[in-house]
Amino acid sequence: MPHVELKSLSKQFGTVEVIRDLSLAIEAGEFCALLGPSGCGKSTLLRMIAGLETVTAGNVVIAGRDVTQVPPAKRQISMVFQSYALYPHMSVRQNIAFSLEIAGAPKAEIAEKTQKAATLLQLEPYLERKPAQLSGGQRQRVAIGRALVRDPEVFLFDEPLSNLDAKLRVQMRLELAKLHQELATTMIYVTHDQVEAMTLADRIVVLDAGRIAQVGSPLDLYHRPENKFVAAFIGSPAMNFLPAAANGGEGRAVSVDLAGAGSLSVETRHDGAGKTSGTLELGIRPEHVSPTAPADPSAVIDGRISMVERLGNATILYVDTAAGNIVVEDESESEARIGDAVGLAFEPGRSHLFAADGRVI
Amino acid sequence: MLATNNKYVGLLYLSPALLFVAVFVLYPLVQLVMISMTSESLLGGGEFVWFDNYLLAFSDRSFWTSFWFTVRYTLIITPILMVLGFLLALLTMQNRALNQIARGVVFLPVVIGLASSSLLWVWLFDQQVGLLNKALVDVGAIEQPMVWFNRAHLGMTAVIVSVVWKVVGFGMIIMLSGMQSISHEIVEASMIDGATYWQRVRRIILPLSARAILLATLISAIGSMLAFDQFYLMTGGAPRGQTFTSVYWIYQNSFVYFKLGYGSALSVILMVVIMAGAALQIALQRRGESA
Ligand SMILES: Nc1ncnc2c1ncn2[C@@H]1O[C@H](COP(=O)(O)OP(=O)(O)OP(=O)(O)O)[C@@H](O)[C@H]1O
Ligand SMILES: [Mg+2]
Repeated sequence: MPHVELKSLSKQFGTVEVIRDLSLAIEAGEFCALLGPSGCGKSTLLRMIAGLETVTAGNVVIAGRDVTQVPPAKRQISMVFQSYALYPHMSVRQNIAFSLEIAGAPKAEIAEKTQKAATLLQLEPYLERKPAQLSGGQRQRVAIGRALVRDPEVFLFDEPLSNLDAKLRVQMRLELAKLHQELATTMIYVTHDQVEAMTLADRIVVLDAGRIAQVGSPLDLYHRPENKFVAAFIGSPAMNFLPAAANGGEGRAVSVDLAGAGSLSVETRHDGAGKTSGTLELGIRPEHVSPTAPADPSAVIDGRISMVERLGNATILYVDTAAGNIVVEDESESEARIGDAVGLAFEPGRSHLFAADGRVI
Repeated sequence: MLATNNKYVGLLYLSPALLFVAVFVLYPLVQLVMISMTSESLLGGGEFVWFDNYLLAFSDRSFWTSFWFTVRYTLIITPILMVLGFLLALLTMQNRALNQIARGVVFLPVVIGLASSSLLWVWLFDQQVGLLNKALVDVGAIEQPMVWFNRAHLGMTAVIVSVVWKVVGFGMIIMLSGMQSISHEIVEASMIDGATYWQRVRRIILPLSARAILLATLISAIGSMLAFDQFYLMTGGAPRGQTFTSVYWIYQNSFVYFKLGYGSALSVILMVVIMAGAALQIALQRRGESA
């Protein structure tokens, strides 16, 4: 039985439909990331699970109990907000202990649980400080500590790291991963940062305008995107998309024509896809394209380098071709310079074909 | 070089405000203190008498009666205003259409002059034609329409009712601004932490709007310590001067008995007392915050 289950959830603000008929099942102990661009409804969905936002239609089930009409405090969830939302007039200790105190827990139990959370999160030196006297990372840990002491069934995180600087974000990411390993509690984690989602999550739910675009493991989404939205959203630099015309095929293989290139045979996902015709888009990630000598037999298409970015561990080449601009990620320390003519080879089996409606074929 | 220049430029920017303060605050204040040390009459004349007026004030029973009456009035009306204002702010905290209308209605009397509102209430309390008496008789609270202004405590009650109606919206607006500056997520976090509505009010909203509450309390208490119009128009000091407030007594001395010098000395005493009270309140708040 899933630990958290969303059944045909919808949410409307006035006439605007923000979440549309969304169903999802999350297993106990799973780390599930809700990933999507700004405004796609991630926070709204999380707040509906928390009970901070009413549900227009559908049900929320947590640990086998329908909690659609249950107030937030009784849903056995804890939430960590993007702004931390610490109580500014209380010390760190009081912040962490607040929920226990409200629930009327015995003093000894409050002290013990607070201490345990403080030890786990290395907050002991700061227990008597006010939130204003803490750094961003420390505040974040207090917010997590406050969530921790409630022993929730589910942890909800809304972009908890987005207010931190890049270095601290990486560090806190590792701490969160460790925390999940230690607690093995179900976690639902909202982010618009694909790296966070990819590194932390067992499973990623990609949201597009209030609908699920795809659910899968990080590598699944990366290697087998089901639609152009997911293909374009996951991966950096983003996947290249080139207009392609289908002209017959055999079984799973489709033969496509690229502008300025010859015919190319692409393996598709489904049997019988070879009969596809019409206008398609070919997608290939920058790391699956490699530069060759111009007119090299392995090159699919020729072009001219319009821009070079040297990152140290890789070189990003922007190549103008007859089929459009193609971004190439070259792992070697390339000698390429702007204006050079290059050929581009596509790694076999790495191309994706998308139909006009964006679905992969 | 640049730094010195900047200092003068800064002064230049400040000069309109400084001029305003000098003309409308400092000059009258100095004038007041100077007059308070003369035996000047409203008709002119008088001479410098050093601190005679102040010495006189300390043995003026009527002044101290009016002073303690004002203090009592302030101590009664301020908590009423603050509690009601806080509850109204709490009630209309969310920005819904109905709340905004309610706020407007409660705030409306604040922009009426105090004199106009006092006259309005004089009629409402009137023995012959007053709506209030009629309503109280109709619901059976009293048997006969009553005269409200011939006994001191009834007079004060009537004044308090009218002033609360008039100014409660002011405290509400100030506390509302305090409450609305509390982050949504903090309140939501406390909901998730299991706080009930009243626990949220007591543990989160009240402490986090403490500054706004202090501000509202100070403004309201100072206003009450300076009460005049409402008593002048509603009770006229009756019965037998028992509802004279400090300012009313200062007015009597200055403009009815023409003792301008003496009235000024009383004003200075009242000002010092109010400033000391305000300073004490702010100091207490500071201590509460750092604890
Ligand atoms: N209270 C509200 N009233 C009306 N519209 C709202 C409300 N809250 C959110 N929305 C709208 O719902 C959509 C989804 O908002 P949501 O906050 O869930 O986005 P998000 O995916 O969390 O974005 P971000 O990454 O920027 O936080 C947005 O278009 C937003 O304008
Ligand atoms: Mg959001």
